[in-house]
Amino acid sequence: MNTFMQKYYQLKVQKTEYVTPTIKTFTFASESEKLPHFGAGSHISLKLPMGKRQYSLINDPLQDESEYTIAVKNVGTEGGGSSFLHHHVKPGETIEVASPENYFQIRTEARRHLFLAAGIGITPFLSMMAFLSHTGQSFDLYYAGSSASECAFYSTIKKRYPDQAHFYFMEREQKEKELQNVLRNQCIGTHIYICGPSAFMDHYITYCKGLGYPDENIHSERFRPSSTIQNPKAFQVTEEQSAKTLYVNSNQSLLEALIDEGITVPYACRMGVCGTCEVEVCNGSVLHNETFLTEEEKKEKMLACVSRGEGAITIKV
Amino acid sequence: MSNRTFPFPFTKDQYAYSNNSSILDPPWTLTVTEDYEKEITLKRKLLQQNHSRCFRSLPISIESQWEVMRLVFTQLSEAYPSHFSFTQKGKEFQFQNHLLNEEETFIFRDCTSIELEPMDLAGRHVQEDLILMGDRSDGLFLEAGQLCFPSNWSLAFVLGMEFKSIHYPVPGITDNGFIEKVGRFISRIRPNTAWERKNWSITISEKLDTPLETYADWGRMRQEVTEENAGELVHLRVEVQRLFRMPINHDILFSIHTYLLSLEELIKNEQWLMLFYRNIKTLDDDIADYKGISQYKKEMLGFVEKTMAEKEKMNR
Ligand code: HEM
Ligand code: FES
Repeated sequence: MNTFMQKYYQLKVQKTEYVTPTIKTFTFASESEKLPHFGAGSHISLKLPMGKRQYSLINDPLQDESEYTIAVKNVGTEGGGSSFLHHHVKPGETIEVASPENYFQIRTEARRHLFLAAGIGITPFLSMMAFLSHTGQSFDLYYAGSSASECAFYSTIKKRYPDQAHFYFMEREQKEKELQNVLRNQCIGTHIYICGPSAFMDHYITYCKGLGYPDENIHSERFRPSSTIQNPKAFQVTEEQSAKTLYVNSNQSLLEALIDEGITVPYACRMGVCGTCEVEVCNGSVLHNETFLTEEEKKEKMLACVSRGEGAITIKV
Repeated sequence: MSNRTFPFPFTKDQYAYSNNSSILDPPWTLTVTEDYEKEITLKRKLLQQNHSRCFRSLPISIESQWEVMRLVFTQLSEAYPSHFSFTQKGKEFQFQNHLLNEEETFIFRDCTSIELEPMDLAGRHVQEDLILMGDRSDGLFLEAGQLCFPSNWSLAFVLGMEFKSIHYPVPGITDNGFIEKVGRFISRIRPNTAWERKNWSITISEKLDTPLETYADWGRMRQEVTEENAGELVHLRVEVQRLFRMPINHDILFSIHTYLLSLEELIKNEQWLMLFYRNIKTLDDDIADYKGISQYKKEMLGFVEKTMAEKEKMNR
């Protein structure tokens, strides 16, 4: 359902290249059509045998080269997407790729852009730095890694952005002290972008909030697991207002069941994107199948057109 | 406008504000109709005579404006290949408008290569008004617009305003968080995707350019409607609005294509006549006031009822 109008392309692997012993880049292109434009911070989803996997594009958004390049670190998990890509995906092969999406866009209004990367978390910043160099906006990169040789794109970045790139290969404590110092000394209107392992992102998000950066100025990339319900199951709903209890069949949405029962719920898109069909959840557990509601709202609301209850739930229209 | 291609807006018997948007495939934001040349001529005349009323931009919009211009030319040439072509040779782009026998050349993102701002240039080749909504971390802001055919609003007034504030004059628009949800819906539109909705109003005489700034000139015609002249004077005004997420700058292009149809033409379609009647008859007073209909509602309904009675007689 969340895949409405998402376009898929059969892309051919043009080339692959090791940039560190564990990080490899893959470049994809189409043999038949021009690929859509994308913005700095975009990612693509690859359809792999183990499911969909998302990777940031590292191309320059303004180069217009009709190619998508990603950098993948082999995290070594047996049966994982990264090890599959490293070992089984060779130049000349075809992979199904969804058109780019962007949850980590550049905030044009920022007076200054500050990028905080750890390890493979560098990838979205490659497209961002390329873009900002074209548009002439001010940015700095603070890049933490274990060593220069393990640090993907170290020499390219150093050469391309000699004044903006700062590397941190020291001990963890020292690193933290220096990065915190950087964050403490920024002008008003700076936007902070953080990407790396979860613990790294959590730590610096909390730290930035503590320093008083407004929430709207702190951005982080977290790939959300795609929330499509694979095998919808029947469930029971009690609607408090009308005191009616009804069953939602597996081939039916909650919205359809409520309307069939004569309970009026306003709706429009029926795709989980407009928010019109929102109902209050009073009791029971819900499988949310959309990204419209915020995590906070999902605690007490659901969208009747796409989300489903588990077992028995109680709602209020 | 003939009623052959008119985008009739009513689907139900009673009108209420709703997020009546649907997704478009292909995601084209522009339409060329048989009135192309006539409307482009009018548009360019308005731009020449009242440039600061019809085009406004903030400096932050410039990158997106370039993206809009390239998108407009690309989509025109894809949707109407016999009317428009768009090619690139090295750094230089060339757009050809075969309908008007015109050519534009430019270097992408090089402001010295064109004489107008990019959206001001692109807009002169399309019937649509073009509005650029910047997607900022604290909301959607109107950052540039080429607006020649507004339905009683002012570009100068809303420039720089946030989506929700722009809508404050609309009665009941904040009820149940309506406009806030629409804003959120827009902020989630995916790159390279387009949605379409229709908005409607009523204009007296076949006049596309009805900005707030010249209300004194066209607004008083509302007092001239009689049951006798309503068929000719009263026009149903429909705006086909499209929202497109531009992939590179992540901003929203909002295009508005305005269509006018006289009641005389409208009543030729019995289904439309019926739906129009029911929707106007049951329209909330505050919405009727807002749309300026209250002043002549009685006369207009008088005309419609008379027409319906005549048709009834003929059908019998
Ligand atoms: C993002 C682009 C949009 C812009 C720039 C925009 C702008 C405007 C403006 C300037 C008005 C007139 C306000 C006045 O009287 O001063 C208006 C009216 C209105 N807008 Fe929007 N709007 C946008 C999108 C939408 C969407 C997506 C919806 C609904 C889904 C919507 C719903 C309405 C409604 C219901 C009215 C009242 C119209 C009437 O009754 O004639 N707008 N809008
Ligand atoms: S109807 Fe649009 S979200 Fe459910």
